[in-house]
Amino acid sequence: MTMAPPLFLALALAYAGLTSLSLAMKRHHDQVMGRKLQPERVRYYRWPGWLLLALSLWVTLTVWPLGLALFMAVGLVAIAGLPLVFLLPYRARLAGRLAVALPVLAMLTWSTVALA
Amino acid sequence: MTPLSITSRTLAAALGGYGLGALAAMALAVTLPVARDQAVIIGIMVAFLLCSGAAIWAFSARSAWRAWAGILAPSLLLAGLYLWGLPA
Amino acid sequence: MNKSFRQSMAWLHTWTGLLLGWLLVAIFITGTSAYFREEITLWMQPEVHDSTLQPGTVELAMAALNAKAPDAKSWDINLPGDRQTAVELRWQPAKQPENGGRRRGEQMLMDADSGEVVAPRATRGGNFFYRFHFELYGIDRLWARLLVCLATMFMLIAIISGVITHKKIFKDFFTFRPGKGQRSWLDAHNATAVLALPYHFMITYSGLLLFMTLIMPWGIDAAYENDRRAFFSEVFSRGEDAAQPGSPGQMVAVGPLIEQTETRFGKPVERIQITNPNRDNAQITLRVNRDPAVTDRQRGGDPTQVFQGNTGELIDTRIPANDPVSPGWRIYNFFTSVHMARFADPLTRWLFFLFGIAGSAMTVTGMLLWVSKRTQQLRRDQQPDRALKMVNGLNMASITGLMLAIAAYFLANRLLPATLAAREDREIQVFFIIWLVSLVHGLLRPNRHGWIEQVAAASLLWLAIPVVNIFTTASHLFTPLAWQHAAIASFDLVCLTLAALGGYTLWRLQRKPLPAKARRARAPRRANTASEQPAGESP
Repeated sequence: MTMAPPLFLALALAYAGLTSLSLAMKRHHDQVMGRKLQPERVRYYRWPGWLLLALSLWVTLTVWPLGLALFMAVGLVAIAGLPLVFLLPYRARLAGRLAVALPVLAMLTWSTVALA
Repeated sequence: MTPLSITSRTLAAALGGYGLGALAAMALAVTLPVARDQAVIIGIMVAFLLCSGAAIWAFSARSAWRAWAGILAPSLLLAGLYLWGLPA
Repeated sequence: MNKSFRQSMAWLHTWTGLLLGWLLVAIFITGTSAYFREEITLWMQPEVHDSTLQPGTVELAMAALNAKAPDAKSWDINLPGDRQTAVELRWQPAKQPENGGRRRGEQMLMDADSGEVVAPRATRGGNFFYRFHFELYGIDRLWARLLVCLATMFMLIAIISGVITHKKIFKDFFTFRPGKGQRSWLDAHNATAVLALPYHFMITYSGLLLFMTLIMPWGIDAAYENDRRAFFSEVFSRGEDAAQPGSPGQMVAVGPLIEQTETRFGKPVERIQITNPNRDNAQITLRVNRDPAVTDRQRGGDPTQVFQGNTGELIDTRIPANDPVSPGWRIYNFFTSVHMARFADPLTRWLFFLFGIAGSAMTVTGMLLWVSKRTQQLRRDQQPDRALKMVNGLNMASITGLMLAIAAYFLANRLLPATLAAREDREIQVFFIIWLVSLVHGLLRPNRHGWIEQVAAASLLWLAIPVVNIFTTASHLFTPLAWQHAAIASFDLVCLTLAALGGYTLWRLQRKPLPAKARRARAPRRANTASEQPAGESP
């Protein structure tokens, strides 16, 4: 299962990216952060969001060949996005914390596996 | 939409759409300047997209007449293309 | 975009979705299970669970074939891998039975440790769902396939019109508003549809491509002057027929050849084919599993080496990733092989399974939205009319009913006597009887009580599967054997997950009596469970 750690990382990055993109939207910013989104701060969430999604794609490219990697990357967006969508109304703060915790956890897992 | 218009559009989408797709598959199969097996598969892949596109058009056109016209006109064009490309 | 255009698309989306929606739900759910069809078959044959690949397995397999069919035209050996535990042995008898049918040859299963032939209980296993997914059951195959194609076309139209209808596709990208009846269903339907849109499009479009020769053969006829055979042999040729049997001769040991091939490709050999075994013109073909790089290559393209049987000389090395493929066929091959995911390793397979669940969730929430919307439009004192009740009942049968029937099929596999005559048909009968019962029940009680009862029954049945397993097999969750082969334990774990999701749905359905202010509709409460139908939970 050598592809499990990079896959986990790709999924975590997709989740973090989508969360960041949702934080650039008024409704979800309120939900997660508990305060109003300043219009000039939108770009602090939107750009990192896209960057994280790009990183997720980059990780899938190390696992699969180009065509399949593109397909799987958009698929991972679905698998990461659906929990986010259903967490936001119920556990918005948790949704936000996961966006930080999951990529960190994924990188720790990968480095542990790589070193072992 | 009246029941008559819905029936007419449904027929346009189903029969017209399929006919358009089939004619596109035939026309592309004989005219595309690539090896014939590849021309066939490209034709088929385009055909399915045209079928669904035709259905969308049939129900979005302003009247049932326009729906039919918008499907029959390109069909005729493709039929001509097919006859022109037919191996002599 | 102008308003009437969007309205007509909403109309089109609603009605194409409803008309064949029940069929699409069934196609999606059984198709999702088909990603694991070999694993399901494995689970359904507990007699073969205690079998693990050993260094000597190949020799045992050769000996078994030598004992059974020394003069066969060809032998096939499928070694255990991630998806099967026993060795599958196939052979083409020297004399073909004159039944005119396809030459499928003979087949038996062998224990990989002992080399003994095992005869597991008769079952259609996961293949039943796989077949149902594209040709249903009990109807003429051609008509069934045409019906499935029609449903697929409707699906494609529904996808396109759905995207056009969706007013705030980006603004509502992450939106789910629970507890708001129709609104919540719409949000859930949008989320499952939009987030997994590339998958939905891929699976639908490639579904049509897989049936292209059935439904769109006109281009082939045009370019090949009505000679479809010429097209097939040009495109799908799988090598020439085997040579006539030569004179009797010795064959070299296969072991060293396998080592050679495994070194060459860096992967374990999974399939061994021997044409004209025990003859001087025997040929030994060794295949390893294809890697995902070949998604844009011809189907069936595994890295392969061919050896001369009597000398062990390497004749041919085939690496499909190096074959030239034209762009048009690359696109076709990509779509069809991603649809079937045969190249997938277990982890990738799980991802496809999750994609399939998202697809099922989309169709399921769409059907429930239809009823929810119309229930909410009723006035306070108005009863749902007959059509609405019928749709609600049919929804129940196609969603919870199918989940009930699938669980019953698995339970029947464990509970029917292993030696029962026509056993595989009995399992299928149980499946359809339970489905029919749920349909009748759904039509009689097309309301919240009906839903609660069916969800409760489904949860119980799914929970019963791993429990019954404990009493009927030696490879249940509390045995090391089940964990030795991940597929076996995973099956029980999926059953438990589905039972848990069903239980959660039940809890949500039961909890919170209807708010006094709201009208006495049933739909708003169900609304909360948008994502929690057993068939349609997101991960």
